[in-house]
Amino acid sequence: MIKTAWRLAALKNGFQDAIAYRIEFLFEILGAAFVPAAIQWVLWYALFRIGGAERVAGMTYGDMVQYTLTSLLFTQIRGGDNDFELAEMVRSGQLSNYLLRPVGVVEFVYIRGVAPKLMLAGICLLLGSGVGLFFGLSPLRMAAGMLLALVGNVIHYQVGAALATTAFLWEESYAVLMVKNLIVSLLSGELIPLNLFPASLQWIWKSTPFYLYVFGPTQVALGRWSCATFAGHLAIACAWMLFGWMLIRVTWGMGIKRYSSIGG
Amino acid sequence: MEKNRTPVIEVRDVRRTFRSPKKGDGWKGALGLLLRPEFQTTEALKGVSFTIEPGAFIGLIGANGAGKTTLLKILSGLIPPTSGEARVLGYEPFRRPMDFRRRIALVMGQKAQLWWDLPAIDAFDLLRAIYEIPPAVYRERLHTLAELLDVERHLRTQIRRLSLGERMKMELIGALIHWPGVVFLDEPTIGLDVLAAHKLREFLRVFNQREKATILLTSHNMDDIERLCSRVLILREGELIYDGTPRGLTRSGECRLKVRLMHVPAIEELARIAGVAQDAVEIRQKEDEDGAGAQFVYFTIQRRQIVPVLQALMSSGQIIEMGIEEQSLESVIQRLYGAEAAGAARPVAPG
Repeated sequence: MIKTAWRLAALKNGFQDAIAYRIEFLFEILGAAFVPAAIQWVLWYALFRIGGAERVAGMTYGDMVQYTLTSLLFTQIRGGDNDFELAEMVRSGQLSNYLLRPVGVVEFVYIRGVAPKLMLAGICLLLGSGVGLFFGLSPLRMAAGMLLALVGNVIHYQVGAALATTAFLWEESYAVLMVKNLIVSLLSGELIPLNLFPASLQWIWKSTPFYLYVFGPTQVALGRWSCATFAGHLAIACAWMLFGWMLIRVTWGMGIKRYSSIGG
Repeated sequence: MEKNRTPVIEVRDVRRTFRSPKKGDGWKGALGLLLRPEFQTTEALKGVSFTIEPGAFIGLIGANGAGKTTLLKILSGLIPPTSGEARVLGYEPFRRPMDFRRRIALVMGQKAQLWWDLPAIDAFDLLRAIYEIPPAVYRERLHTLAELLDVERHLRTQIRRLSLGERMKMELIGALIHWPGVVFLDEPTIGLDVLAAHKLREFLRVFNQREKATILLTSHNMDDIERLCSRVLILREGELIYDGTPRGLTRSGECRLKVRLMHVPAIEELARIAGVAQDAVEIRQKEDEDGAGAQFVYFTIQRRQIVPVLQALMSSGQIIEMGIEEQSLESVIQRLYGAEAAGAARPVAPG
């Protein structure tokens, strides 16, 4: 039987934590939204306005701007720094606090950390649906996109949590997580639409789950994926989630055996 | 009705080694660590064995690095022993089954375990959900614990805004709210002022007596040990060198005779003259009343031996100064640590 009481309590706790640091929370949102948007805007302006291009990979300047604005909503959801928190807990010995509680530490940290993202998902969905209606976008598609983004959030954490187990081996596991985040920035579609990749290199992003974080949800929301395509990618996302769950069990099972619980 | 005396904690020949990289000085050391890392192995526990009965309040003492915290980590299931066997409440701790986790608690005085940014009450509420404590029971326990520790007015304050003492009290409430049967406390009074330490000590005493919880406490504060523990385990360099009552450690009727002699012979000669065992004699360099360095001889003997020893010493030399010191637990421990530092171990036989 799945125990919901502690999960709900952890979620509530996560909301309270986010609210305790509301200024930091606000700055995080602004940073996550406007940096990728600014990069994209400069890029599209250079290509279409200065370079004089009319279409790039079949997309007009308007299409690009539409992609940029919509992707902003999903970039907010794509995942936090909970994997960094896990790595730091292993490194500092703080993990000990959680290992003795009758809950799974990886799941507990995720639930506490996802709370502000869920709050954001709700706000973004309302905002996206409202503004989208004005531009003729379906709120149902916006909701489907948000669902995919939330599944992407889980996968993002699973990948990060598995990589965080490198902290059981080396003190400098931060570097591994930083590299992962850089790759995710590129392959999730938050910096550029992934169909800009040359045809011969499309396999790269298709063979990772990262496109499900931003590119996929944006395509769904903008009506560029059919319902069948969406269902197919949702199934792929679920398969990745299952793989991520198994990966965590294996990596944490091995890592915990090496845990030395430093500090006293 | 006969009490259940099955041990709650059983430790058999537990050993634990740690392997860590060894870094040399400066750039060369850093480069060496990168290219050809060398490792050193530390033996934190060397075949420790003991059992603990239910409801006991046990003091675990030893100098820094003696292996106290390592032992607590093994017993609470954070790390496995390298060899040997540990069982707590019938469980192998490192397997950490959920039922085991629900029945133990570990409090580390130097590590915060509650969520720093939340008011204590929110953190306890989360713990209530984690341990599935019925709301009425939770309210009653929280009231009892907060009242005993006198922190009711601080329950709605963010943990990070509390003083060290208040925070430690909240940590204790967080650790005990699920009413564990076995509690491991690692230096809970560290950094606390006299009043806060007293309050905490009193609380632990009441909790142990009222709830019959088994408590294993490590502390450098001998007051904690003397006032709370019915039994003491002493670790030295990973070895258990004493297991018995605090009174047994100070040995009833035993005292320290301090003598300053005109001429100080060797320890063997002093022991022969006084008619005592060599390990009962110690020579220490100390300052005299004028602040000048002087050698003092200490005899750890029974009270009835004082007069014969003094007579023997006076017959063979001139006594300049003498005095008698009571054997406090602190002084015994200091001597044990001192013997370790001097490399002249005088282990007390396990009792």
